[in-house]
Amino acid sequence: MRALGELSETRYWIYLLLLPSLVMILLVIAYPTLYGMAISFREMRLTRPGLGGWVGFKHYAAMWSDPVFWIALKNTVVWVTAAVVLELALGLLAATALNRDLPGTKVFAVLILLPYFLPNVVAGHMWALLLDPRLGVINDLLVRAGILQTYKAWFADPNTALAATVLVEAWHGFPFFALLLLAGLKSIPEDLYKAAAVDGAGVSAQLRLITLPMLKTVIAAAVILRVIGLVNSPDLLLILTGGGPGDATQVLSLYAFQTAYKEFNFGYASALSVVMFVILMIFAAAYIRLSRITKGEGDD
Amino acid sequence: MIESKRRRRVIANIATYFVLATLSMFCIGPMIWMFLTSLKYEADIVTQTMQYIPRRVTFDNYVAIWTQSGFPRLIANSLVVTFLTVTICVATGTLAAYAFSRFAFRGRTQLMLGYLVVRMFPAVMMIIPLYVVMRGVGLVDSRFGLALAYTSFLLPLFVWMLKGFFDSAPKELESAARIDGSTRLGAMVRIVMPLARNGLVASSVFIAIAAWNEFLFALMLTTGQGSRTWPVGLQLMVGEFQLPWGVLAAGGILSILPVIVLFAIVQRTMVQGLTAGAIKG
Repeated sequence: MRALGELSETRYWIYLLLLPSLVMILLVIAYPTLYGMAISFREMRLTRPGLGGWVGFKHYAAMWSDPVFWIALKNTVVWVTAAVVLELALGLLAATALNRDLPGTKVFAVLILLPYFLPNVVAGHMWALLLDPRLGVINDLLVRAGILQTYKAWFADPNTALAATVLVEAWHGFPFFALLLLAGLKSIPEDLYKAAAVDGAGVSAQLRLITLPMLKTVIAAAVILRVIGLVNSPDLLLILTGGGPGDATQVLSLYAFQTAYKEFNFGYASALSVVMFVILMIFAAAYIRLSRITKGEGDD
Repeated sequence: MIESKRRRRVIANIATYFVLATLSMFCIGPMIWMFLTSLKYEADIVTQTMQYIPRRVTFDNYVAIWTQSGFPRLIANSLVVTFLTVTICVATGTLAAYAFSRFAFRGRTQLMLGYLVVRMFPAVMMIIPLYVVMRGVGLVDSRFGLALAYTSFLLPLFVWMLKGFFDSAPKELESAARIDGSTRLGAMVRIVMPLARNGLVASSVFIAIAAWNEFLFALMLTTGQGSRTWPVGLQLMVGEFQLPWGVLAAGGILSILPVIVLFAIVQRTMVQGLTAGAIKG
């Protein structure tokens, strides 16, 4: 302990503090990532151990002519866009209401945040039960209200499957937006609104001229984190639909996972995830640049 | 004028409560329904006319999931994996978060950004090579191996979150201790850690919940009873035995119970840490 204390006075201390986590990260992230990229240029199937050679861009070329890849790409864009827009809208609504700080707000805040912390497995099956074609309570409510004639198999109908999964995802993910946007709203000085009110600005003018511009950074950060999260995680779709019916809810991450998990075709699955990663990088760079431009210069 | 202003405020308050109540119902309604389902007899679930309030209540579903399906084993595995993950993150991440928060050094910004970029890596892109590497060293189907895999996405998150808490612990006390002859290590352990205790607990709980809930890595990296965690076990039960709805609901309720309890306890600090990290990043 004494020796460590003395060591902490030397200039090596900082590196000693960083070393353990850095070793961990290199071990479980950097090395596997590079290795994964290498796999995408190789033939690797666990079912056929003899293979293992380098095949160059074979997998990438195969992807180009793979119809499922293009369907999955299209579905990914639709699914992520719909979910993020819905989550942002609900999150903004929740944050605005919570920010008024009326009595009892704390209880509502806890209830509204709860879904975000629930496991995908439970969330998935819970909604499968709610939307079940035979005993789903949502079907029952809709029929009673006269909106539906008969019970509907939401996840089995290619026309509604993707929308139904977006609903589940929105339920699971909108608290994340509520959380970040509420923090953003709280950081806007009250004086701004008072000054605007004195100048005669109404509610909508205040929203347009103060709230939204001040929230821009937070919204940008929340959107980008959520898009990354949604593109990368196939969990919910894997549990709800498995990509079906047909390929109606097949997205890139799920396609890559199933290629690895079911077919053990690691080479092709790696190539798929590398493409996904590149698309995400391009999106992130473009999005950050765009939100910088509209924000004006100087501030960060 | 004042009268109409007050009226407008009352209307706004009513609208606010309406929005909050509706959203809360949307959020916890499904959970309440799952809870009610878990208390029903199967005959009352699969019925012609929907029972909104159960006419009779039973705990059979809870007994069934606990005794008839290796559920306790799954829960035990999950507990071990969660504990190992949190231990690794706390042991290595706390030091890094402290370093990032208190020292200026070359490459600090780049390194911190690096910790963030890691989040962009697709899970699948990590899972495949991790599986191959771990199979090579015999860590597939091991609880320690799974915890190591979880570290790949939870450690960076933990470091970012905890750094925020360290940032908000006042530096003056630390300086005072240093002037009184305490070493850097002494100041860190005796002054900064206690100050950031709530943050440390909240960050750990966040990691713990994430590890407890994780599904995809566990599905790929565990193959047998020995290390399988509850999300994978529950999912496989649904597929293999056509698990009755009531039993499935009971399993769901049991497995989210720890999450809800933990969340309720540290919710305020955790929310604070989550937002601070995300907004600065």
